[in-house]
Amino acid sequence: MKQFCFTYFTRLLPLFFIGGLGACSNMEKDINVVLPELKPQLVVECYLEQGMPYQLTLSESTSFLAEPQLSLVRDAIVVISFRGRPDTLRYRPFFDTYQRKYYTHYSRNILRARAGEVLTLVITDKTGRKLTGTTIVQAPVRIDTIEAHYNDRQEAFLLTKFTDPPQTSNYYWYSVHKRRFNSRAELDYAADDKLNESSTIAFGSGYDFKKNDTTIVSLYHIEKQYYDFLNTVEAAREANSNPFAQPSGIKSTVQGGLGVFTNLAYDRRVFILKD
Amino acid sequence: MFRLFSFTCFCCLAFLFLFSTSPAFAQKKYTISGIVRDPETKESLVGVAVYSPELQTGTNTSNTGYYQLTVAPGTYTLQFSYVGYQSQTHTLTVTKNLKLNLDLMATSHELNEVVIEAGGLQEKLKTSQMSVEQLSIREAKLMPALFGEVDIIKSLQLKPGVQSGGEGSAGLYVRGGGPDQNLFLLDGATIYNASHLFGFFSVFNSDAVRSVDLYKGGFPAQFGGRLSSVVDVSLKEGNTQKYSASGGVGLIASRLTLEGPIKKGKSSFIISGRRTYVDLFTRLMNQANAKDPEYDPIPNYYFYDFNAKAHYDISAKDKVYLSGYLGNDLIGFRNSGFNFDFNWGNKAGALRWQHNFSPKLFLNTTLSASGYRYNITNTIENFSFNISSNIKDYGLRTDLDYLPGNNHSFKFGAQAVHHAFEVGRLKAGSEDNTISFSSGSTYQGVEYGVYAGDEYTPSPSFTLNYGLRFSGFKAGTSNFMGLEPRVAARYALTENTSLKASYTRMNQYIHLVSNSGASLPTDIWYPANNVVRPQRSHQVALGISKLSQNGQYLLTNEVYYKWMLNQIDFKDGAQLFANDNLNAEFLFGRGRSYGNEWYLEKKQGRTTGWIGYTLSWTYRQFAEINEGRWFPNRYDRRHDVTLVALHQLTKRLHFTGTWVYGSGNAFSVPVARIILQGHPGERESYVPIYSERNSYRQAPYHRLDLGIVYRLRPKRGEADLTFSLYNAYNRRNPYFIYFKQIRDEETEVTTGFQAKQVSLFPAIPAITYNFKF
Repeated sequence: MKQFCFTYFTRLLPLFFIGGLGACSNMEKDINVVLPELKPQLVVECYLEQGMPYQLTLSESTSFLAEPQLSLVRDAIVVISFRGRPDTLRYRPFFDTYQRKYYTHYSRNILRARAGEVLTLVITDKTGRKLTGTTIVQAPVRIDTIEAHYNDRQEAFLLTKFTDPPQTSNYYWYSVHKRRFNSRAELDYAADDKLNESSTIAFGSGYDFKKNDTTIVSLYHIEKQYYDFLNTVEAAREANSNPFAQPSGIKSTVQGGLGVFTNLAYDRRVFILKD
Repeated sequence: MFRLFSFTCFCCLAFLFLFSTSPAFAQKKYTISGIVRDPETKESLVGVAVYSPELQTGTNTSNTGYYQLTVAPGTYTLQFSYVGYQSQTHTLTVTKNLKLNLDLMATSHELNEVVIEAGGLQEKLKTSQMSVEQLSIREAKLMPALFGEVDIIKSLQLKPGVQSGGEGSAGLYVRGGGPDQNLFLLDGATIYNASHLFGFFSVFNSDAVRSVDLYKGGFPAQFGGRLSSVVDVSLKEGNTQKYSASGGVGLIASRLTLEGPIKKGKSSFIISGRRTYVDLFTRLMNQANAKDPEYDPIPNYYFYDFNAKAHYDISAKDKVYLSGYLGNDLIGFRNSGFNFDFNWGNKAGALRWQHNFSPKLFLNTTLSASGYRYNITNTIENFSFNISSNIKDYGLRTDLDYLPGNNHSFKFGAQAVHHAFEVGRLKAGSEDNTISFSSGSTYQGVEYGVYAGDEYTPSPSFTLNYGLRFSGFKAGTSNFMGLEPRVAARYALTENTSLKASYTRMNQYIHLVSNSGASLPTDIWYPANNVVRPQRSHQVALGISKLSQNGQYLLTNEVYYKWMLNQIDFKDGAQLFANDNLNAEFLFGRGRSYGNEWYLEKKQGRTTGWIGYTLSWTYRQFAEINEGRWFPNRYDRRHDVTLVALHQLTKRLHFTGTWVYGSGNAFSVPVARIILQGHPGERESYVPIYSERNSYRQAPYHRLDLGIVYRLRPKRGEADLTFSLYNAYNRRNPYFIYFKQIRDEETEVTTGFQAKQVSLFPAIPAITYNFKF
């Protein structure tokens, strides 16, 4: 994942140096580590979208060195409530071949909500675990322009500009995909508007594109709790690979377990690079 | 505030009054005083041991080379000894105040002399000061070093109770303290980031350094502002008699020092510089591959530093010293419209006036300025990004030494430092200002201290060193004060055995905002305020020192216990880089550290060196970490062993070796894992879940370094070749451990995880050519 966020570059500088030394003389070796284990916790991922049915993935945390597959929870009761009406999702695991995602729970209810409305999630299982979460529907923020800027090698970076809603603290997730939306993103990152001085915000990329590239640019207007979740997930992953990083816990958006319950409000554009 | 200040003043005055009145009841006494110098450079020698066997007591020369003993009428023998110099013995009959200035001859005029006399051990036994390590620059220059670069901070890491931050690191972790809890002073000016190249080399150029004292505990009252240690570095003054040049050419850096008289016998200067030159090679490589579209240019990196000092003897009673330091690290990267520059460094300067009111009263007044800053600039076409942080200090301190001659040696003084902080100053946007981001905060604060202390020797077998420091800090509406009592005592059980004890309390009013556990150039200093309270510590130490084998060996054993309050850590996912509300990111807790340090030292004969062993425990506790349970600090090291041996085979050939062993560092391992698929358009990721902080141990660290110093016979001046072999048996020491995601190469599906241990340095030979003429 490439990030335009320059601050990350400085964090990585020591790693370039160390990595260079390590690579010079094969200074890496396999070791055996006996890890302590944590009692499995419920893990939920639910990203509600306007006009889409409720669907989520419920699993459990596992030992870090366990087989890399989802540990499913079959006997849980999953309820999403909206406007005072609870909707119990059915356990029906399936694989969405386009999005390449597994889902475990599903409802035919379609989300049609106004910005500011609240949805709640309650999950209980037979072992007595209870996970709860709340999300407030966000309004999408429209992309104003997308620009391509070329260097002398005819490599281009993208600049996506939009108008930041005033008077509120706003949080964003920005991603750019090449060709297909279900491929690996060329870049994606979370950002807030705390440091912005003007009404316009621009998110950029590296020189990762060329003329005639087709890109899908997405700007998500996200909740603060989801923004915190994304940052702490990044910090936790970095703690595993950066010798200078401290271990970081994850700030989930849910209580009684781990994971995220949120809604996605976004503007998405297809942009083909021209001269 | 007024009441506390009044109380402090009362205490200071009370004990000064108490002891200054006692001479009226004492026997008539006289003083023997003088200045000890190097005969060649006329530079005063600091820390020369002056010992009288009849009195069974002695003293050390001050930082001006001055000594004084107060004695009853009679005949006394005075022994003067100093590392690398020939000892002298003088017999004096005292019937009045006597002045004895003398020149100590160096044991050899050649470079890197290894012969070291034992007199220093006698003085170490007799002094009440404990928990202090004095580093001989000559010793440091003999020791094998990484890439052949002599590093005085890494030499200090070989002393008991002092740990490195990791492989090759020039950081100091003293008795369980963090890297932010060390006060580095260069001729009285603070050095805020004492390392180059992300901590791999220290900023102190050994060619310019005259002496280094490291205080781990038992802090004298004149020091304050940090919890764990004081590293007091003094620069050379320069040769007042003749011009000379010295330097060296090494694997990654070269250095040159020039010194000489400005006015012969009255004033002198020294200027010393060094620079790395790896960037010269990387530039050539980049130019050679400029036409290769697949080639990624290597960023240019180098560091340099300059030290300069001048002094002038205005009169027999007045001297002025002017010293300065400038050092920078620079990284630059340019590629097709993308420009990146990152530089950081320290500046420091000090102007000191020394005045002798009388043989019993000296004044040193120092005006100092110092600063540290980093700056990152990035431009892509008409978009730019700049972030910087800095701290600037302006300080004034005055110190008085009063030697009334009744077995007392008073020190008192005051200091004030104005700190100016710029924290996370960010400016980013487009040239036309349609896009603009900014952040940054500025803070001001004044740190001050008043102290008084006395070394009282009521009998040859007992010495009491006691003092009190009143310190404070004012920043905006925040106002903090604290009393810092300092007590140390020494009791001679026998002629060759001393018992020692000390208690110190310290306050620290500025904090290093660092979430890395190590020192990085982007770490920023932050003042105490109403949310982030001052750090405080208490430390007690007990020790016994025994001299044996006719004074050849000194065995020291110290136990210590340190309590640390208001320790800082950071919340999960804390944003420390460009954040206008840093207060919200802190966590506050406490710490404790305790241990036992053994130190066997030999300074006489052809083979010298020491063996150090430390058994220690270091813990922290934060309500938000580990569910409030105590956890080991990252650099909690149960066992730490150092062996240092210096052997002079012939007059031209020296062998040196160091071996270090340390229990593995504590680190955190994930206790669980979750798979996050992400929202549509995102790829899945495996996220580690951490629970217990620092619950796992890396493999032990051990390493042997070897060195050979071979003196050449140039037609003019002196020269030598220094060979060093770092990590001689090529041990793959752990630097850090991570878990690698194993993927199927064809499907890119994750198939498992494997723990990996990364090491930094294999066996690294180096050669350095040193010269002097």
